[in-house]
Amino acid sequence: MLGWLDSNLVTMIDGVAFGVLLFTIALGLSLVFGVMDVLNLAHGALYLGGAYLAVSIVGDGGSSVLVFVLALLAALAVGALAGAGLSLVTRPIAHRGHLDQALLTLGIAFVAADLFSELYGNDVKSVRAPAAFGGSTSILGSTYPTYRLVVIAVGLVLAVGAWYVIERTRVGSLVQASVADAQMVRALGVNTTYLMTGVFAAGAALAAFGGVLGAPILSASPGLDTRVLILGLVVVVIGGLGSVSGALVGALLIGQVEALGVSLVPTYASFLTFGTMALVLLLRPSGILASGRAA
Amino acid sequence: MTRPMTTPSSRGSDMAVDEVVAAGRPSSRGVFLTRHLPIGAAIVLALFAVPFFAPADLANALTRILALALLAVSLDLLVGVSGLPSLGHAAPFGVGAYAAGITAKEVTPFAPVPLLAAVVAGAVLSVLVGLVVVRTKGTYLLMLTLAVAELVHVLAGRWTAVTGGTNGLVGIPAMTLVPGGEPVRLAGIRYWYVLAVALLFFVLLVVVSRSAFGRSLRGIRDNEQRMSSLGYSTFRVKFTVFVIAGAVAGAAGSLYVVQSRFVSPTDLGFEVSALALLAVVIGGRGSLWGAVLGTALVFYLRDEIGPLLGGRGGLLMGAVFIAAVYLLPRGFAGIRVPRRFHRRQEAS
Amino acid sequence: MRRPTRSRYATVVAGLTAGVVLTACGGSGSLGGDDDEASNGAADDTSPVTVGLLVPTSGVYAPLGEDMQQGFELFLEQNDGQLGGRDVELEVIDEGETPDTGVPGAQRLIQQEVNAVVGIVNSGTALGVRDAFEEAQVPLIIANAGADDITGARSSDYVWRTSFSNGEVAAALGPRAAEDCESVFLAAADYAAGREATAGFERTFTEAGGTVAGSVYPPFGTTTNYQPFLAQMQQSGADCVYTFFAGAEAVAFTQQYASFGLKDSIQLYSSGFLTEGGVLQAAGEAATGVETSLHYTDQIDSPRNTEFVEAYRTAYDEAPTVYAVQAYDAAQALDQAFENGTSGPDVVEGLKAIDTIDSPRGEFGFNEGHGPDQTYYLRRVEQGEVGLVNVVVEELTTS
Repeated sequence: MLGWLDSNLVTMIDGVAFGVLLFTIALGLSLVFGVMDVLNLAHGALYLGGAYLAVSIVGDGGSSVLVFVLALLAALAVGALAGAGLSLVTRPIAHRGHLDQALLTLGIAFVAADLFSELYGNDVKSVRAPAAFGGSTSILGSTYPTYRLVVIAVGLVLAVGAWYVIERTRVGSLVQASVADAQMVRALGVNTTYLMTGVFAAGAALAAFGGVLGAPILSASPGLDTRVLILGLVVVVIGGLGSVSGALVGALLIGQVEALGVSLVPTYASFLTFGTMALVLLLRPSGILASGRAA
Repeated sequence: MTRPMTTPSSRGSDMAVDEVVAAGRPSSRGVFLTRHLPIGAAIVLALFAVPFFAPADLANALTRILALALLAVSLDLLVGVSGLPSLGHAAPFGVGAYAAGITAKEVTPFAPVPLLAAVVAGAVLSVLVGLVVVRTKGTYLLMLTLAVAELVHVLAGRWTAVTGGTNGLVGIPAMTLVPGGEPVRLAGIRYWYVLAVALLFFVLLVVVSRSAFGRSLRGIRDNEQRMSSLGYSTFRVKFTVFVIAGAVAGAAGSLYVVQSRFVSPTDLGFEVSALALLAVVIGGRGSLWGAVLGTALVFYLRDEIGPLLGGRGGLLMGAVFIAAVYLLPRGFAGIRVPRRFHRRQEAS
Repeated sequence: MRRPTRSRYATVVAGLTAGVVLTACGGSGSLGGDDDEASNGAADDTSPVTVGLLVPTSGVYAPLGEDMQQGFELFLEQNDGQLGGRDVELEVIDEGETPDTGVPGAQRLIQQEVNAVVGIVNSGTALGVRDAFEEAQVPLIIANAGADDITGARSSDYVWRTSFSNGEVAAALGPRAAEDCESVFLAAADYAAGREATAGFERTFTEAGGTVAGSVYPPFGTTTNYQPFLAQMQQSGADCVYTFFAGAEAVAFTQQYASFGLKDSIQLYSSGFLTEGGVLQAAGEAATGVETSLHYTDQIDSPRNTEFVEAYRTAYDEAPTVYAVQAYDAAQALDQAFENGTSGPDVVEGLKAIDTIDSPRGEFGFNEGHGPDQTYYLRRVEQGEVGLVNVVVEELTTS
C-alpha cells in the first residue's frame, strides 16, 4: 500500500494541479451557461487569447513575477472587455436557443483563431514561468516543477474567492438566484442586463486569466482553443451547470482521471475522459453537484 | 424541473401536439404537394442534368456534398423534427462508411451490398447508443452524444486490424453497378448513383416526417409531457427515430465512401458532427430540405473555397456563420416568399 | 384554382438553377472520356507545366506547410521559375489538418489535370489518395508524410517520396543508442507514425543487444500532461528513453521531461521531429542534450548545404528545416523528370531515370519503393551562436 502510494502520490498531486487549471477554465463557462443559459463556444478562444497575451507580455525568456502578474491582470481586463462584447452580441439571439448561440459563438471562435494565426503565426509559442518559480522542488524524493505548485495555490485562492463571492455577497446571491429563476430576479427589480453582462465579463476574464496561468504548461498554439473548450465542456457537464463547487469537483475529478487514471490504465488512456463523462451523464444527468437549472 | 432545448417553433406553441390530436386531416397533404412539387421537380431535374455540363471535379464535389447532405438531413430529423440535438451523428455516418469500405474490399464492390452493410451498421450502432442515450434531453443529450461519438472515434483509431487505424482504410475498390461487372470510373455515373440513392432516402425521410409518426415526433419535441399523457410511449418513439436517423446516416457514409474510396477516424470526429449540426441550423431546423442547402454552403466553403485562401479558410467560415445567425434567423428554410405575390393573387 | 404567380416563380427558380450550373462550368462534362483520367496530352520540349502544391496552410501543421512551400519556391526562384526547362505555374491548395480536407484537395488537383502534385503532410491522406493518383496517371511526390507503407506495401509507380519513412528514421538510431544504453523505455504519441517509429527503433535496438524496459503511448493530439508517463519512465529503471512526438506535443513533452528532472538523469533519444524548426525554439533550454536521428540539419558542413542555407536565409530570414529541404528536393526531382516529358507516364520514366539528387542533405537516389535511399545523422541539440541548433555528431549507418 505504501509502495503504491509512494509511486503515485506525485501523480495525484499533479492531478490536483491539472484539475485546478481546468477549474479556472471551467468556472467561467459554467457561470455563463448556468446564469445566462448561453452556450459560449468561444470560451476556448478566450483562453487562447489569454495565452497569446502571455506570449506577448511575458515571452519565453526568464521574467520576473511582476511581469507575470501584469500579464494576469491584463488578461483579466482584456477578457472582461471581450466578455462584455460577447454579451452584447449574443443578447439579440439569446431567446433563440442553444444551437443558434453555438453557431454564433463558434463563428466568433473561428474568426478569433484566424486572427491569432495572423498575429502570432502557426508555430507553437511557449511562455516561461517567472524565474522565481521556474525550477523544481523535491516532493518525496521526486522532482516536481515548482510552477505547478504555484498553479495549485493560485487555483485554490481563486476557488475560495469565487465561493466567497457567490455564497457571501449580495451579487453572489443574485447570481445564484438567476441560475434558479431569472424571471423572478427581474421581477424583483434587479437590472438583470447589468448582471448578465457582468457575469459574462467575469466568465471571459477567468478564461483569459486561465490562459496566462496555464501558458507555461500548455504553451499557445493553433488548435489549443478547441482542446480547452472540449475539456471545459466535459468538466462543466460533469460538475453541473451554474455551480461553482460543481465546477471544482468536476475539474478535480477530470484532473485525477487524466493523471492517476492514465497512470493506472495507460492502454485505455484515450477512453478515460469521455468515458467518465458518459458515465456521469448516465448516472447523474444533471451533474455531480447540480444546483437548479438542469438543461 | 427540466427545461427542454428551446427551438423557435416550440416557443409557446403546442401546435404540433394539436395536430397529432386532430390527426388525419386530408387537406394538409394535398397542399404540400401542389405547393412544392414544381420547384422540387425543377431542382431535381437540374441536378440530374449536371454531368452533361459540369467538369469532373464539380461532379466530384457535388457527389461528396450529396452524401454529407444526406447526413445532415437525417440529423435534421433528429434535431429539427424530434427535438433530439445530437453532437455525435458522425458516429453512425463513419461506422457506415467503414462498413461499406470493408464490405467493398472483402465481399463485393457491387454497390447495393456495401450500402446495405452501411445501413445495418448505422442502425446497429444507433440501437446500442439509443438505448442508453435517448432517455436524456437537451444539453445533456448533446454532451452525451458527443462523448459516445468521441469514444467511437478513439476506437476507430485504435482498432487497426479492422479499420486500418489512424492511417485509415485504404485500397477500397471502385464500385460496380452490375454484380461482377466493370468498376465505375466515370465521375458522372458515380454522381448519378449517389444522387439517386440520396434522393431515395430523402424522400423516405420526408415521408416519415409527414406521417402520423412524424406528427408524434413533433408533438414530443414541443411538449413531451402532454404527448405522454395522451398515451404515447415517448421513449419508444424517440428510440425509433434515433435508429432511423442512424441507419440513414450509415447510408450517407456508404455514399461518401463511393466517392472518396477512403475512410479515416476523422470522418467520425467531432468536426464532422459539429459541421453537420451547423448545416442543419443554417438550413432551417425541421424543414429537411433546408439541411441540404446548409450542407452545400458549409462544406462547399470548407472544401472548395477555403483551401484556396492561403490559410484564411477559417475566417470565411466564421464570418458566414455569424452572418447566417443574424440574417437567417430561421435558416434558409425560413426565408419567406415576399408578401407582394400573395396580395396580387388576392386582387386577381 | 391555378395560381400563375407560383408556377412562374417555379420556372424562374428552375431556370436560374440550370443557368447557374451551366455558366459555372464550361466544357467537357463528367461523362465522356475524362472521368478519373487526366488527359495528359502530348507536349513539346518547352510547353509550360502546372504543379499542384498540396500542403497545410492552416491549422496545427501549417508551420510544416509554410516551410515546404518556401523550399519548393526557393528552387523555382533559383531556376527562373522553371522545372526541366519549362515554365511552372504553381497551384497551392490547403491540405488542412485531416484527410477530410486533404483527400478532396488532392482529387481536385487531379481533376484540374496538373502535371504533378507535390506535398502532403498527413499520412492518412497520402495513403488514401494513392489509388487516385495511380488511376489518373498523375505523379505525386510526397514531401513529408512518413507512413512506412507509402513506399512499402502500398507503393506505386506514380507515388514518389523525397522525405522519409517513420520506421527507417527510428531504426537508424537503434544501433547507436545500444552503444550507450543497455535498456530503453519507449514512448510515442498513439497514432500510426508513433507506432511505426517505436517499432523501427525497437527492432534495430534489440538486434544490437539492447532490451526494452517498457513502453507507453500517450493519446495523440489530446495529451497535455505527461507526468504519469514520465513517472513510469523513472520507475522502469531504463538507461535511456526513445520517443516520437511532433508539433505541440513535442514541445510539451520536452519541457516536461526537463521540469520533472528526467533530463539530467535519463538520456533522451528521439526521431528528429522532436527538435526541428519552430518546435525547437519553443522547447528552449529544455531541449539541450537531446540526441535525435534525422536525414537533415542545417548544421551539415558541406558546400552544397552551406550554399543552400545561405540562399534560404537570404530569401526567408530564417534557417531551413528538414521540411523545406524535402520540398526543395521534390522540385529538383521534377526538374530532372520534366526534361523527359510532361505526361504522367513520361514524368514517371523521368523519375525512374534519376540517378542522384544533389540535395543539401547529401546526395541520394530513390530505392525500389520510390523512397529516398539516404544517410541519417545523429544530431544533438546545443546552444549555437543565435539560439539552439542541431549539431551533427556523426553519420548513422542504416541497415
